[in-house]
Amino acid sequence: MNITTSDAILLAHAAFGALGTLSALWVFVDALNAREQNARRIRSAAFAVAFCIAAAWVLGGYWYLHFYPADKILILNGPWPFAHKLFMETKEHLFFLTLILSFYLPLATRDALHSNRAARRMVLCVALLIAFSGLAIEGAGAVVNRGAEVALLRANAKRL
Amino acid sequence: MIAEAGTPKLGRTSAPFALSAAITIVFNTALACLKDVYTPLKNAMSFAGHQDWTTQGVADVVLFVVLGLIFLRTSLAEKLNPNRMISLLIGASILAGVGLVAWYALH
Repeated sequence: MNITTSDAILLAHAAFGALGTLSALWVFVDALNAREQNARRIRSAAFAVAFCIAAAWVLGGYWYLHFYPADKILILNGPWPFAHKLFMETKEHLFFLTLILSFYLPLATRDALHSNRAARRMVLCVALLIAFSGLAIEGAGAVVNRGAEVALLRANAKRL
Repeated sequence: MIAEAGTPKLGRTSAPFALSAAITIVFNTALACLKDVYTPLKNAMSFAGHQDWTTQGVADVVLFVVLGLIFLRTSLAEKLNPNRMISLLIGASILAGVGLVAWYALH
């Protein structure tokens, strides 16, 4: 088994992204049944969203700056250049939307969700936006990964 | 800090930062497009933060915090209808997301 630093950082980035998305879904479900008793749990889950997405940002940013340039050249010269031009470009900028919403979520959950319908609706919408954008970003990451794979497969096929 | 029970209002912190988030999200998409068409901006962003993407992320977070604090002091966001605020945030997110996909698909 040979797991490089690049692999470990990339997997941790994707894992934190998935955990952040799942935590947003947790906030959504708990907020649907908001009561005084689960207010603290909702706030904790909202902080988990902010923490996980921030960790995904730092890890993904480090990997993007130090390891992605080689993959980018590979993808652009491979059969799936759109994996970078469309999916990576969109993913890396769409991520900031999720990041800002994730930083906002703990602030939104400070309101009394069980008695304030407007505040509850806000939390539900923000949590859902984080979950959907998080899933879209995870999917885009898979396309970028596949873009590098098909480029390597083609390069290997040419050598054989 | 927290809206009173039964009142259809967002909290004192929640409303200003919701407005700030909506503006920051649109700003992020506008900046992503602008730096692609105006190379000096991209170069300046690369110079400021090692890579333009790094600068953009930091700029977004700083803008979100600063605007949130400004709106918190001015209580401008509290005057907005909560439903309108929610629609604004959803609209900004959809516009920004679709805008980014369209920009990179056509650019």
